[in-house]
Formats: sequence, structure tokens, C-alpha cells
Amino acid sequence: MQEATFLILTALADGSQHGYGIITEVKQISDGRVRLRAGTLYTALDRLRADGLVTVDREEIVDNRLRRYYRLTPAGAALLAAEAARMQANAHAAMARLNPLGAVT
Amino acid sequence: MSNSADLERGYRRVLACYPRAFRQENEDEILGVLMDTAEEGQRRVGLAEAAALIRGALRMRLRPGPGRPPRTVSAAVRLMCIGAAVELAALATLVATMGSLKAAVLARDPAQWHTALLMLTAKEVFAPIGIALWLWLAWANGRGHDWARLIFTWFFGLFTVSLLIALAQHAAVYAPADLAALTALWLVALASVVLIFSKASRPYYRQEPGERMRAAG
Repeated sequence: MQEATFLILTALADGSQHGYGIITEVKQISDGRVRLRAGTLYTALDRLRADGLVTVDREEIVDNRLRRYYRLTPAGAALLAAEAARMQANAHAAMARLNPLGAVT
Repeated sequence: MSNSADLERGYRRVLACYPRAFRQENEDEILGVLMDTAEEGQRRVGLAEAAALIRGALRMRLRPGPGRPPRTVSAAVRLMCIGAAVELAALATLVATMGSLKAAVLARDPAQWHTALLMLTAKEVFAPIGIALWLWLAWANGRGHDWARLIFTWFFGLFTVSLLIALAQHAAVYAPADLAALTALWLVALASVVLIFSKASRPYYRQEPGERMRAAG
């Protein structure tokens, strides 16, 4: 899974968000490191929706513009959980090998 | 007010790269996000935003239709995009170094000046066509058109012959970098041919388009 996809799913993990909300959440989650562009976000969302991992929660009109809120589907949440567990296991293995005695953390 | 109108018009122009169906459903919303992320008083389309939009549009257009292609076909499509990128890089290098290239030819081999100039110009003219060809065939192969792999193979044959001719003409002596780029491209093309004709790819190309739609359900 690409990092952008992982961060988008993470941004939606605790509730629905609209496009701009996802961008700000991703920035916050990544400590300002990942600045998601609209082009990247909507290409990813299109794919995630087609794969049934994300769905439209509701639509609003704000300032004459359509605003869609997206949320994770159960399949999306399961995939994110699996991916996070895999990354955690990898990170754990890396740390364990770097500090075999567990002296430094 | 006119600043944001200019900006919006600029973004609309970039968004025109996207497939129509996608635009109808999402253009308004994406524009909203683009305007929300714009700087105060920004009038011109941001370079990074435009690049991300164009990358997204390309990805969406090259994305295979309904019915996932096998790994071999996706890998071939990716390789063809790499081919286009290599060709673009080669063209950019050529354009950037045109002046020094001409000077080098003039200094070393004035008798060959006209031939060299003709060849360099031909490369500049044909490279964009080559890039378009790579992308078009990547798109068509991703959709599993059987003719696409035949056309790709035909161009691969043509490419092989021209590479052999270049080798026979001692191109290695005159333009080692150019030859290296050509060889890299040739290897990319060879790998693509192997992939699209592999056993795993065959059923995907043999399917009728209607069948593929039904399979995707």
C-alpha cells in the first residue's frame, strides 16, 4: 500500500471527512511531512471507492459548491488494520535488530 | 475576486485532462478543494498541484477498464509508461544540450555537419511521437486489446532493426550516451513484449470486451 493511500485511510479511520478535511488531517497525522495534493487525493479516492474500501457518507452544498464526505467501509477498516499491524510488526523487528539487548529505545 | 476567477479558470483547464465521466462527477468538488488549498491572492495554477493533477489524470486514463488485468499485463503497462518517461528524459537532455552537441560535431567532424544536424532535428521531431506511441499502447494494452500487442510487437521489430543499423554505423563511437539510452529503451520494450505474450497474459487478451464487463459485474 502506498503511503498516501495509507494516510488517507487513516484520516478516515475515526469518522467521515470531506476532501479538504482529509488533506489537513493527513498533514497533521504525518507531522507536516506529507502534503497531499488534490490530484493525488482524488485519484486515490476514485480507486478506493471502486475497490469498495471507501464510500460517500453524505453530500452538502457549501458556498454553491458540492462537498462530499467520505468514510471507510468495513472492508476499508479491515484493510487498514491489517496494513497497520504489518507495519507495526516490521517496525518492531527493525528496532529489535538494531538494539538486540533492548538497551536503547 | 478576479484573482480567484483566474485561478479557477486555470485549474479548470488542467482538470480537462481527466476522463469526462470522472469530471462530471468530481470536477466541482475538486475545484472546491483546490481553491481552499490555494494561497491568499494566488492567481496562477501551482506547479506542484498541476503536476499532481496531470499525474492523476494519466493514471486514471491508463488504468485498465473493468476486469482486472493479470499482473503480467499491469507490469507491461507500467514498463511502457517507463518507456515514455525515458524517451521524455532523452528528449529533454537533447534539447538542453543541443548547443554543445552542435559545437562538438562542428569541431570534430565538420564534413558530417549536415548529416548530424539532420539527425538531431529528426530526433527532436520524432521523440514526441514516440512518447505518444508508448502511452497510447500502454493504454490499449491495459484494456486488453489484442491489436495493441500486435502493434507493439511490430514497433518493437522496427526498433530492433533501427538499433542494429545504428550499431552497424558505429554510433557507439559518436554518441555513447544516446546508444545507452536507446539500449535501455530497447530492453524495456523487450521486457514488455515478453510480458504481453506470456502465458498468464493470454486469457486477458482473448476475452471479448463484453465478456470482460460481465466478469467485472
